[in-house]
Amino acid sequence: MYLYLYDSFLNDKKYSSLLAKIETRLTDLGIGGKIFRLSPLRNVSELINDEARAGAQTIVVVGNDKTFTQIINLAAKIDITIGIIPVGPDNKIATALGINSPENGCAVLASRTIEKIDLGKANGTYFLSSLTLSPGNVTIECEDQFKITPPPQQQISICNLKPATANGFGTTSYFNPKDGLLEILIQPLTPLVRGLGQLFRRSNSQNHSIIPFKKIAIRSRGSISILTDGQRILKTPVEIEIAPKKLKIIVGKDRIF
Amino acid sequence: MFKKEDGNEVETVIGPSVQVEGNFVANGDVIIEGIVSGSIKTEKNLHIGAEAKIFADVYAANAVIAGEVQGNIKVKDGLELTNTAKIFGDIKAQVLTINAGAVLHGKCDSGDERKSKLEKIEEREKNKAKETAQPMAEKIK
Repeated sequence: MYLYLYDSFLNDKKYSSLLAKIETRLTDLGIGGKIFRLSPLRNVSELINDEARAGAQTIVVVGNDKTFTQIINLAAKIDITIGIIPVGPDNKIATALGINSPENGCAVLASRTIEKIDLGKANGTYFLSSLTLSPGNVTIECEDQFKITPPPQQQISICNLKPATANGFGTTSYFNPKDGLLEILIQPLTPLVRGLGQLFRRSNSQNHSIIPFKKIAIRSRGSISILTDGQRILKTPVEIEIAPKKLKIIVGKDRIF
Repeated sequence: MFKKEDGNEVETVIGPSVQVEGNFVANGDVIIEGIVSGSIKTEKNLHIGAEAKIFADVYAANAVIAGEVQGNIKVKDGLELTNTAKIFGDIKAQVLTINAGAVLHGKCDSGDERKSKLEKIEEREKNKAKETAQPMAEKIK
């Protein structure tokens, strides 16, 4: 049984014809199901747990990265398959999973290729894509064996999927959510001459560091913000570990892993 | 740093200006351009860049060193010291290549050949006779 979760931004009139199209397509493909519209007043956790108990085997998120990362944290805790139909802007995760349009999302759901992928876990919060640290003095304790001290003015990310800024790594062995590892990516911030609004941009030069790991702890002198999947903010100290094969997810053939 | 579950090894890169302290252990290839203190151990290839500074004992299957290493180096197979390498410690490797200009302060042990013993000609002939006599005796039996 399929459970479709519509993000609250889809209540906007401009999405009504697209949603109607998606619903028709899903019915045609024989994968229609219950539809729930998310709202700040609705307890999503309770809803998902109730539906899972009632026999729902697949949750399909209709929305963007924000909706998806919100649901991941709940779906990771129960044995349920998760899918996505990308609608609206900010759909990098769906693209990484090989789903590039709402129509394609319906087709991918119907073909039902399921992969068990790793998630990262930071202080109990699951993340699929990456964590981004605000610049500052941090030390990273890896595997209780060694300590990394990056220079303060560097962009530090903890990645499970390949970040948009990570070009020029040549090899495909990094950023694979099926390898049982996360990667620390340290890249310099270089000044950009153009525009004050973009004072810094990330460099893709050879000056990067990349360290695969299973468990780390990030500590800092003062409190530093860490953004999980571009959504939730955590504060240091943070303990991060891999949660191998934690999420059953429906993927397209153009996925990046 | 670790062996991936699908069998492919991952490369660990320690970039310039990044400092690592402690026992750095890896199963895949390692490239170091920064500063490492403690110990470095990898079952695969190690590349220490020209700007890297290593204050650690190093163990690797193969290594190319272009930077400064203060510590002992033990390499299972091939070790190459480039012309910019500065080594302050002992080296042990199966195959050792030292380029002109490399600095080495320490003992050097390469290959696993045993040194020959100095034998007198009479002793050598006696030993040869013994060796030939033994198979003959066995044939007669």
